[in-house]
Amino acid sequence: MRKVFITALILVLAIASCSFADGVKIGAGIYRFNDAFMLRFRNAMSAESEKAGAEIDIADGRDDQPTQDAQIDEFIAGGVNVLIVNLVDRMAAQGTIDKAKSADIPVVFINREPPLEVLNTYVKAYYVGAKAEESGIFSGQLIVDYFKSHPEADKNHDGKLQFVLLKGQNGHQDMILRSKYSVETIRDAGIEPVELASAIANWDKLEAMKIMNAFIMSIGPENIEAVIANNDEMALGAVEALKAQDYNKGDPSMYIPVVGVDANASALEAMDKGEMLGTVLNDADGQGSAAVKLAVSLAQGKDVSGEVTDGKYIWVPYQKVTRGEKQ
Amino acid sequence: MAETKSRSKRLMTTGGIIFLVLGIILYFAKEPMGLNRKIYDLPIFLIIIGLCSAIKGYMAKDKTEEEAALAGKTFTEFLTNNAILLAMLVLVVVICILQPRFMQIRVALDILTQSSTKLIMALGICFALLIAGTDLSAGRMVGLAAVISASMMQTATYANRFFPDLPQVAVWIPIVAAVLACMVCGALNGFLVAKYEMHPFIATLATQVMIYGACSLYFDMPPNNSQPIGGIRPDFAQIGQLRLFNGLWKGFPGISILIPISIVICIAIWFILNKTVFGKNVYAIGGNREAAVVAGINVFRNIMFIFILASFLYGIAGVLEAARTAGATNNYGNGYETDAIAACVVGGVSMSGGIGKVGGIVMGVLIFTVIQYGLQFINVSPMWQQVIKGVIIAVAVAIDLTKYRRK
Amino acid sequence: MSEYLLEMKNITKTFPGVKALDNVNLNVRKGTVHALMGENGAGKSTLMKCLFGIYEPDGGEIFLEGKKASIHSARQAMDQGIAMVHQELHPIRFRSVMENVYLGRFPGHMGVVDHKVMYEKTKALFDDLELDVDPLALAGEQSAAILQMMEIARAVDMKAKIIILDEPTSSLSDREVDHLFKIINRLRAQGVAFVYISHKMKEILEISDEITVMRDGTYVGTWPVTDEKGEKLTIDFIIKQMVGREMTNQFPPREGKPSDDVVLKVENVCSPLKKSFQNVSFELHKQEILGIGGLVGAQRTEFVEALFGLRGIASGEILLNGARYTNKSPGFAKSRGLALLTEERRATGIFGILPILENTVIANQRSYAHFGVLNDGRRKTDADAECKKLNVKTPSLNTLIQNLSGGNQQKVLIARWLLTNSDILILDEPTRGIDVGAKYEIYNIMLEQIAQGKSIIMISSEMPELMGMSDRIMVMCEGRVTGFLNKGEYSQEKIMAFATQFAGRKDSTAA
Repeated sequence: MRKVFITALILVLAIASCSFADGVKIGAGIYRFNDAFMLRFRNAMSAESEKAGAEIDIADGRDDQPTQDAQIDEFIAGGVNVLIVNLVDRMAAQGTIDKAKSADIPVVFINREPPLEVLNTYVKAYYVGAKAEESGIFSGQLIVDYFKSHPEADKNHDGKLQFVLLKGQNGHQDMILRSKYSVETIRDAGIEPVELASAIANWDKLEAMKIMNAFIMSIGPENIEAVIANNDEMALGAVEALKAQDYNKGDPSMYIPVVGVDANASALEAMDKGEMLGTVLNDADGQGSAAVKLAVSLAQGKDVSGEVTDGKYIWVPYQKVTRGEKQ
Repeated sequence: MAETKSRSKRLMTTGGIIFLVLGIILYFAKEPMGLNRKIYDLPIFLIIIGLCSAIKGYMAKDKTEEEAALAGKTFTEFLTNNAILLAMLVLVVVICILQPRFMQIRVALDILTQSSTKLIMALGICFALLIAGTDLSAGRMVGLAAVISASMMQTATYANRFFPDLPQVAVWIPIVAAVLACMVCGALNGFLVAKYEMHPFIATLATQVMIYGACSLYFDMPPNNSQPIGGIRPDFAQIGQLRLFNGLWKGFPGISILIPISIVICIAIWFILNKTVFGKNVYAIGGNREAAVVAGINVFRNIMFIFILASFLYGIAGVLEAARTAGATNNYGNGYETDAIAACVVGGVSMSGGIGKVGGIVMGVLIFTVIQYGLQFINVSPMWQQVIKGVIIAVAVAIDLTKYRRK
Repeated sequence: MSEYLLEMKNITKTFPGVKALDNVNLNVRKGTVHALMGENGAGKSTLMKCLFGIYEPDGGEIFLEGKKASIHSARQAMDQGIAMVHQELHPIRFRSVMENVYLGRFPGHMGVVDHKVMYEKTKALFDDLELDVDPLALAGEQSAAILQMMEIARAVDMKAKIIILDEPTSSLSDREVDHLFKIINRLRAQGVAFVYISHKMKEILEISDEITVMRDGTYVGTWPVTDEKGEKLTIDFIIKQMVGREMTNQFPPREGKPSDDVVLKVENVCSPLKKSFQNVSFELHKQEILGIGGLVGAQRTEFVEALFGLRGIASGEILLNGARYTNKSPGFAKSRGLALLTEERRATGIFGILPILENTVIANQRSYAHFGVLNDGRRKTDADAECKKLNVKTPSLNTLIQNLSGGNQQKVLIARWLLTNSDILILDEPTRGIDVGAKYEIYNIMLEQIAQGKSIIMISSEMPELMGMSDRIMVMCEGRVTGFLNKGEYSQEKIMAFATQFAGRKDSTAA
């Protein structure tokens, strides 16, 4: 009797495991759960895994690289077939790669891009993300488009663009590239950018609001021709500060174009109200599902050379958004 | 002795009058002399300072023999005792030279606005300091109140509503809910401290972590999933953004509603500390807890009340922050307690309990805000701002301790 | 070589608003006990703090063995052979006795402490002083007497030439005082000099060789206790020098008698702690002063604290004016008309950093409040009236209480409890560390209260006070009531007999 039972159990287990996407088990490490963008990313990954029938286990790195390292060890010990890693510290990629290499499982990095030479040390290491410079380019373009279509935006008629810049966390790759490329794009379009002031607001609305307030007071709102923020929350902080001075409330003579990145719901609403000029969508959903698709293919040992560029990358493009509509 | 006191009086009065006259002259001279873009509202400031100084000098009572002896300050003592204030004044002068725009009425009003929520925080935390404790959970309670109130105050059309089916409730409901949530946390603080005689540092550290966790859970509830709360109803945002007397005259930016709110709270706290049994008991428990027990003071009840009252204030501050920024995340208020404690200490509240005045706390908050605001104004790097902030705290405490050390 | 070991010449010290010391002199010979006397606030402690480097004198010079000494810190004082045993000791409670003795100068090499050497050295030191204490016992568990002798042992070990004893016997029983004097005599024979601050005349005459009297921060004079003709100074003479006037009576006359009404009846009250008070029973009559006598460790303080709700009671019954009373909390006790003046004035009495006003009204706030809001005017008039009545010497009600002398602090504390209009005043060592003048005033206050129909329980370790003030004396020993004495049958011997009833079991100095 017992024998029969055990055989039946084994059978059931075997069938059950078969029905699960060919037994693909994904271990995913996120740098910090409490991050709006990564949350969308997470949700997209979960949804895609369910669709593909894969099992996914997502761990919170709590913004601490050693914590994440321990979680990856746990994943490997737990027998995952593939890793998806959103590094806490992108310079710590080598350690993660070494772990994956010794366990001989593929690893897909997301959101924070490891240096190419590190990626090259392991054939089964890939990166899924957006080209950070693209977000900078697009926000620059939003400003340029506005400037070209609204001659009155050049308030002092000097042909130059006087702007202030609100930057993300110091040393963050997105902050560096977005800041650099947005300004360069403006210059490339034939308008000379003049940075009146810039400050680090740590992606934070409240901090951005305080800093923007200080800019308004010390520079004078009549002298600022554009506000470029590295993300939407900071852009919205700047908008609140401007509104407190009766700017961006509908009077066209009292308007300063503000651009951000992320296209979150609040930003879309602000654009609908005309408080904010535009934003750039970092396609979390697209990236999340692309990462899981790649991971599943890798785990199943499929050839992915057709999907990746340069043998290492999948680039999910950014999208420009103004007035609440995707362009 | 008699000569020095009348001399200081005369100095104040005459100095005030000089300022006053100078201010009036500049006020009428700045247009024709083309100084408008160089000195901005400086004349008005001079007139105000001059008036205050002259009136104070004129009204100042002659000190009694004993008070004069106790004050017995030499010039160097005066300098050390007011070092932070003097440093602030020097900084203000430097900023005015570097960036004359600092001399605007709107800047002064802005500084007051920014001080408002900080002041409310500091007034809350001073209770914990007065009983020789501390409150590390203060900042997280701000976040909690901000998230709770903002989550219920979104416009019906907003795409990403926290409670998609929530009707447009009256504004006071979320405010009460947010403040009550904070008061529950405050009661927990008080219970741990009063019942188990836990050191407030540990008790509030524990609640701080709990509150942040709970707030993050709430914030992470679907469909919001940890996204910043936006789409705030304008009627709620008005609580933090309304400006009184806006456009009273051309260019007048209006007085932020936060300023009268904080003034009212300030007066209320002053009244509680100085005119109620509870306030006296706070000083007594801070001065000598054992003796307070012997004197028949119900220490348990008073400590409970201290933490609940403090958390009430944090809750108010949180709601105001959410309204002011028209948004909230669970990260709001992070680190506010350290700023508030620092401001209290700069304002003369003793960390060993029992000593502290509302006036001092107001000064501490203003000094701190002016310095921070001023540094940001001339675009000093945030790293340097941190360094300077730290130095201020250390110097303030050092001065405070030398003041009380007897030798 | 100078004739004196220590000479303090024309020491002057001014605090804001007060001249604490005005040209004070103190000359101490080698191998003598030099008593320093004066009322509270006379400047004795300030003078000693100047000697010990805690205060910096504004003027004057200090000579040690004829050489001018410069002392700017307690450390320097100790290095030059001056040691001080404070009135209130603050040992590190959770460390052993030996670690307290060698604190700051642990024996050992390169930062590693040699516990064995420390133990042996402490043991030898204690044996030498005939102290029966385990060096490994926790300091927090020792009695005040042991801690004091531990401090003296520490001074001896540091080769101190001068040991300052500030009110050394204020919390010691007579037996412990004898032991202390034995130690002092032994060290005096070895050439150590003592500066002995005390208010207890009898002791001073017994132990000291010379007396210096101070009054209001000034130097009055120095006299040998026994002059060339072999005649001793009299107590009256010393008191006259201290107060500047004659004092004939130590205690004010008691008028009237206790009534027969019982206001408080205590039956078989036991502490939950085995070692504390057990089976305490007595009755307190209206308008009676019930004295509680006993040695240190008799659990008298613990008992009255339990009565007031500061400690637990395991069993027994208390009737207050015939109604059952439970010791819920001090607040409750207060509301039932009890008041407790605690033994440790600084630790559990005063709020040092608060003004006199707040200290006076703190227990009575509720009666000035409407819905929690205070009536400032009434607070001030009440506090002012009460402090004036008790003759508190202070420039104003806004003076911080920590700036007052001990006697005045005590008067403020009494004022605090008189304001609550309590029917039963429990006074735990009400005159400890207080000068003669203030003592007399406090006795007067007690009698006034009795005349107004109140009742008093007074714990006292001073025999004369106990016998002079009480209508009845209850004696306790190791937590038990061992006997009652009625007025007329008092004698020091009888009280001692009751107080040491169980002493056979254990040496009471170690209790």
